[in-house]
Amino acid sequence: MTVQELLNTFHAAASDPAGQFHKYLDAGEKVVLTAPVYTPEEIIHAMGLVPFGAWGGDLALNKSKEYFPAFICAIMQSILELGIAGAYAGASAIVIPSLCDSLKCLGQNWKYAVKDIPFIPMTYPQNRANTVGKAFAKAGYERVITDLEKAAGAVFSEDALARSIAVYNAHNAAMRKADAAIAAHPEITASQRSDVFKSAWFMKKEEHTALVNALLEALEKTDGDAGRGTLPVMTSGILCDSPSLLQIFDELGLRIVADDVAAESRQYRTDAPEAGFAPLDALAEKFSRMDNCSVLYDVDKKRADLIAETAKARGAKGVVLVLTKFCDPEEFDYPIIKKSCAAAGVPLTLIEADRQMVNYEQARTLLEAFRDVL
Amino acid sequence: MAEEKKKPRTPPDPNSAKYKLNQIAQKAYTDVQEAKARGEKVGWISSNFPVEIPETLGLYVCYPENQAAGIAARGGGVRMCEAAESEGYSNDICAYARVSLAYARLGSAPEQDMPLPDYVLCCNNICNCMIKWYENLAKELNIPMIMIDIPFNPDDEVSDAELAYVKGQFLAAIEQLEEITGRKWTEERFREVMANSCRTSRAWLEATAMARYTPSPFNGFDLLNHMAVMVTARGKPEAADAMETLLKEYQANHEKGESTFRAEEKYRIMFEGIACWPWLRVTSTGMKSRGINMVTTIYADAFGFIYDDFDGMIRAYCKVPNAINLEVARDKRIKLCKDNSVEGLLVHVNRSCKLWSGFMSEMSRQIGRECDIPVVSFDGDQADARNFSEAQYDTRVQGLTEIMEARKEAAV
Amino acid sequence: MYTLGIDIGSTTTKCVMLRDGAEVLAASLVEAGVGADGTAEAVESVLVQSGLNMAAVAYTVATGYGRKRWTGADGEISELSAHALGCHFLMPEARTVIDIGGQDAKVISLDDSGRMSGFVMNDKCAAGTGRFLDVMAGILKVGVDALGSMAARSESPADISSTCTVFAESEVISQLANGTPVPDVVAGICNSVAARVSALARRQGVKEAVYMSGGVAKNEGVRKALERELGVTVSTSPDAQLAGALGAALNAYRKAST
Repeated sequence: MTVQELLNTFHAAASDPAGQFHKYLDAGEKVVLTAPVYTPEEIIHAMGLVPFGAWGGDLALNKSKEYFPAFICAIMQSILELGIAGAYAGASAIVIPSLCDSLKCLGQNWKYAVKDIPFIPMTYPQNRANTVGKAFAKAGYERVITDLEKAAGAVFSEDALARSIAVYNAHNAAMRKADAAIAAHPEITASQRSDVFKSAWFMKKEEHTALVNALLEALEKTDGDAGRGTLPVMTSGILCDSPSLLQIFDELGLRIVADDVAAESRQYRTDAPEAGFAPLDALAEKFSRMDNCSVLYDVDKKRADLIAETAKARGAKGVVLVLTKFCDPEEFDYPIIKKSCAAAGVPLTLIEADRQMVNYEQARTLLEAFRDVL
Repeated sequence: MAEEKKKPRTPPDPNSAKYKLNQIAQKAYTDVQEAKARGEKVGWISSNFPVEIPETLGLYVCYPENQAAGIAARGGGVRMCEAAESEGYSNDICAYARVSLAYARLGSAPEQDMPLPDYVLCCNNICNCMIKWYENLAKELNIPMIMIDIPFNPDDEVSDAELAYVKGQFLAAIEQLEEITGRKWTEERFREVMANSCRTSRAWLEATAMARYTPSPFNGFDLLNHMAVMVTARGKPEAADAMETLLKEYQANHEKGESTFRAEEKYRIMFEGIACWPWLRVTSTGMKSRGINMVTTIYADAFGFIYDDFDGMIRAYCKVPNAINLEVARDKRIKLCKDNSVEGLLVHVNRSCKLWSGFMSEMSRQIGRECDIPVVSFDGDQADARNFSEAQYDTRVQGLTEIMEARKEAAV
Repeated sequence: MYTLGIDIGSTTTKCVMLRDGAEVLAASLVEAGVGADGTAEAVESVLVQSGLNMAAVAYTVATGYGRKRWTGADGEISELSAHALGCHFLMPEARTVIDIGGQDAKVISLDDSGRMSGFVMNDKCAAGTGRFLDVMAGILKVGVDALGSMAARSESPADISSTCTVFAESEVISQLANGTPVPDVVAGICNSVAARVSALARRQGVKEAVYMSGGVAKNEGVRKALERELGVTVSTSPDAQLAGALGAALNAYRKAST
């Protein structure tokens, strides 16, 4: 396939999660929803189930308001809204971690709002890089396994998990390469880049890896269309997948050469070790090594420096922080990121985004001004 | 309160619980100030961090949540929030955190000063927001952070895995603190502290349980003030003594048919959520003027910790109100409503607290059904005065009163 | 016995004179609320209509946001109880009352004897209230009373999905800039109010029959959208806007007779 054909394939999957969801169900597969920000997808995969990202959608909130007050972020609200509206009907379960306060509430509300899709909690340790933390992460995984056995009648084995870990590590590697390759290919727009990342949530990882590798191969054969008058920037935040927002990036010639977005690169930074650990321990080890994320405890706030360093390394002229309205983990990090970027001489701009926003005129004005400053 | 100032001041009775409790609450700040002046390392600590640890080690610590509540109650909340907002903190962030982060930068507030910390002690059993807030304090002040992660428990019981995880962190925290401060943990001292803490807690829980009598021997708003001592000093013998005095006073009130609720107690309600500190008088008057006594609230009892040993202590800290699932949280409240003959539930939908408000709609519906009481909510905030509307509050409390009144009439 | 009920809202003042707690003798509505004092005019109007003077009135009860500031009343009740009483009088089989007023949207549950058993109101945001419709009508330069009939002419209602009035305002403006026909924008606005209020209604629980009171009840666009959203019939009557004042007069009768 050509680069364009591959990009079209990513776009088709990214823009039609419902189609992907039903494609798997119709094929007789069992689908398990995975809520933000991290879930042990490898376990779900190892049990022969299809992990399927549930990060909400850009839709009006109505039924979710029966459960959530207005000041809970639109990601949680829209996940619940879709659940109540029956968009996930047919899913075997939903795994919701308790990594932020709103996620805790999502899990509790889910039990009453969407009774036919079982809620499986995943409790991670925040003090994760030590023996007791790893043991607790492992206990959390074991609980997910037991619940999945009940909810989906699926069977777990360590051997299968070892294979799934290899599948996920291969996907991580492909995504890291794709991130770097796209940075070197300015002809790939911000919208197309988003499709590559977003489609990963709605496909089996082995399928997605194959497509990403094909893209990498196809890109290698084409020269990076250097320049083209675009301005390289880096994005950060929880989500940056709104088509209308990305369209503004494209129209203004802002090219995303790196990201620190939770739904994008943050997922792929850390692999589970494939040697020296029993598979479940390897997964706990992976979590213990994860860092640089607003929902993972880090007293050093290394994330702030990582953003500035990555922006510089990738040649980004500035950082656009897309702040999900009412996301307090991100809101707390912002002033620190601001300082780090200022110290490193990396311009930073903040855009508040809501999943209900159809109209991004304010964002356009901000981005336009940002571009002009850069 | 303005009208109270006009009354001739009677010297406070030094043997009264109120006097003793106020002394302890004030001493909590001066003790830390003096320690800091002596050159000792002092800490800031989150309200549900196991106070037994610093107490056993003989450390001086102060409570940013209490400070933020104090600043807000004395009218400084908005000023401090705006100071944090000017640093880039969103006005959607918890107002306690905003006040505290502003204070960490400014170093003083006329409403309530406290020394800046040499380390921070964080426990997220009340919310994960606490982690972010303390991370920022530690980063901005460049000081160490001791973090005990007590995760939100989706299950009804504390699992052995959780116990082991939290215990490991308690031990690590003790070690880390020993290193920072040069103090030593001893078993005898811990047993003393444990005994004090349990004694204080028992008296406190017994005192709050006196609300089961009709009329209640106290005004529920008293609890909000006395709670400061439960938060800061429950491991100290003077706190135990003061709480036992409080209990005796409430018992005496009950025997004499008296109450600190200075109005006829026509209705008894449960209040849900943290107090609206900037609007304490308005919220209290809105109830008192209608004869509503807030006889119980989950968060008063939250600071009563009773246990027999180190593991028991850990389990107690794993079961604080905001670390438990909807069903356990609901049943605790249903018990409070039933034990205290509650006739209505007033819910503070607290803009600052996502965890407390995020599943309150569903939980309060279930409580209302189970207890057959009306449930009414209002919008407010624990420290940001801008997020409250007096007219809205008044209408809703009046609406609640009218429902309770109509139900009483129908029952006659 | 004559009793008087007055509902001092944020934008209008309504007044009802009642005979023996059963018969509406006179009613008035003045386009002036809490800010501009319309109470004297509203009271005067019902007195003139009924040919009575204040001395003949046994009891007066005030309700609405301005209820506390008016000193002419013998008593006051919340607009929640007032609407519950008034709507029960207008439609005895009503078990759910939806009232969209200037500042507030409220959903009130009535028990089988017509007593208020619970209520919910909107949060501090003005979206989903009469005020929101006023602002939108202002942007569209159409009278607020014309919104309902305009919405009826819409063939494909615009999607106004923002949860915030400020965002919704910019959505409306950009819809107009994109050439969306005004009736479609108006229908979109009505739908968005209905969506917010039905979320509130579901939070409280909807039991039929459902009756709509308050000024917005006249807006067919909102009422029909509510029916669609909730999947129930939402009734109203020409007196719907007077429900608060009527409830106050009924309460006055009860207080005067005990």
